[in-house]
Amino acid sequence: MSKKLIVLFLGLVPLLCTCFSPDTPSDRRVLVLLDDFAIKSSHSIFFNNLKSRGFDLDFKLADDPTISLQRYGQYLYDALILFSPTIERFGGSIDAAAILDFVDSGHDLIVAANGNASDLIREIATECGVDFDEDSSALVIDHSGYAVSATEGDHTLIASDDFIKSDVILGSEKIKAPVLFQGIGHSLNPSNSLVLKVLSASPSAYSANPKSKLTSPPSLTGTSMSLVSVVQARNNARILISGSLSMFSNRFFRSDVQKAGSPTKHDKSGNEQFVTELSKWVFHERGHLKAVNVKHHKVGEVDEPAIYRINDDLEYSVEIYEWSGKTWEPYVANDVQVQFYMMSPYVLKTLSTDNKGYYFTAFKVPDVYGVFQFKVEYERLGYTSLSLSKQIPVRPFRHNEYERFIPAAYPYYGAAFSMMAGFFIFTAVHLYHK
Amino acid sequence: MARSTSKDAQDLFRALWSAYSATPTNLKIIDLYVMYAVFTALIQVVYMAMVGSFPFNSFLSGVLSCVGTAVLAVCLRIQVNKENKEFKDLAPERAFADFVLCNLVLHLVIMNFLG
Repeated sequence: MSKKLIVLFLGLVPLLCTCFSPDTPSDRRVLVLLDDFAIKSSHSIFFNNLKSRGFDLDFKLADDPTISLQRYGQYLYDALILFSPTIERFGGSIDAAAILDFVDSGHDLIVAANGNASDLIREIATECGVDFDEDSSALVIDHSGYAVSATEGDHTLIASDDFIKSDVILGSEKIKAPVLFQGIGHSLNPSNSLVLKVLSASPSAYSANPKSKLTSPPSLTGTSMSLVSVVQARNNARILISGSLSMFSNRFFRSDVQKAGSPTKHDKSGNEQFVTELSKWVFHERGHLKAVNVKHHKVGEVDEPAIYRINDDLEYSVEIYEWSGKTWEPYVANDVQVQFYMMSPYVLKTLSTDNKGYYFTAFKVPDVYGVFQFKVEYERLGYTSLSLSKQIPVRPFRHNEYERFIPAAYPYYGAAFSMMAGFFIFTAVHLYHK
Repeated sequence: MARSTSKDAQDLFRALWSAYSATPTNLKIIDLYVMYAVFTALIQVVYMAMVGSFPFNSFLSGVLSCVGTAVLAVCLRIQVNKENKEFKDLAPERAFADFVLCNLVLHLVIMNFLG
């Protein structure tokens, strides 16, 4: 019996070691919830791509009564893919609140909707700051930016190339061809500052039912409408919300694309590159920063002091690395700043870097004493936010550390002593004068 | 009304000087002492205006020692003046003892603040 347990445990060790952790922040175990298993084959390129990058995909039907996200308080998965746009109720113990808890505990989420998205999927999206068009029969229509196609004439298949300008989210390589999109549009909640438009609709797009005549102005129009959005929560959990499930499909990956009005015909749509790069970002293979070895000391010393004196010269250094999916690579930027902070920043300095991840600077402690903090607040589009703070007290001069006998003050000393001498002489004269 | 001339001013100063000449010598000595203190204070203020206020505590103590000395000397002068009926019950020795004591306290404070 005990032998069996040991074998079981040894079998579990590699599994446990590949979990999400601060040291290796990429996700490993991914739960994929599907409407039906046909999606598994119709979207196989996307799934195989994930598998080849080392993800362990667990396919389940969304209404499978045995599915659960956590067991004994431990999450079983690092990320969740919801390819089940029509599901009204998840099976097992999963509901919208469970999924939001999953995100709140730092896990990642990909949600894809389509034309007949259920209220449940809409609710999850709304909680993430994305409001899908309320008209359930509406699709995004674009009469000038549609993809030229022999079979479809209602201009709901859109070739979109209005990407977010961010190398970290979409990769340093330019997306070569327009992305095919067929689905519903959404607007971003203006009170949510964390949600970003990754693929926005063209100025001529609008959201309406393509089968019926347009009677009232569409609620979502133009570039304010988003097709694909991402969220990076304050706990660095990442969410991808797409209004189109077919954007991930093999058919769209393989399809050629010609945007209406454009003479160039691309042999292959930009979907595969776009979705792959975006999933790398969502699953923390890119743009995940860590800061280590925060050090500070007086100039010329090595050890970190327990307290600084006003006007001390000090050196501050920190190492910042970016996770590349396999290893921690040095992060290179020229805009990392450190604050010497007490209620407000007294010193704000941009850190110099040696381009190997080492950031350093030197500055003089201000002429103010109190309890200060070294603060690095680094928030850049697409990167996880860095928030470091280290407390350090600053004391005034000791009474014997002040300068004595300053040459500039000799006239004052002279005056004070001459007043004393004058007092003696005056006393003598006053007393002996008769 | 007669026009004032420079001769009037001269007359005025001469009259003042002759009136002051009648002052007892011990009061004249105190006046000299007060002028010495005020003059030293002025020199320091001019010096500070040129050099800057860096050792400000030294400047303050230098000037205040002069001002304090002048104030104490004026107080002494009021008390030992025979013409002043207000202090006719106060012995000049007592007034001088007060002056010495106050000076000691003043210079103690100045020495502490000077460095």
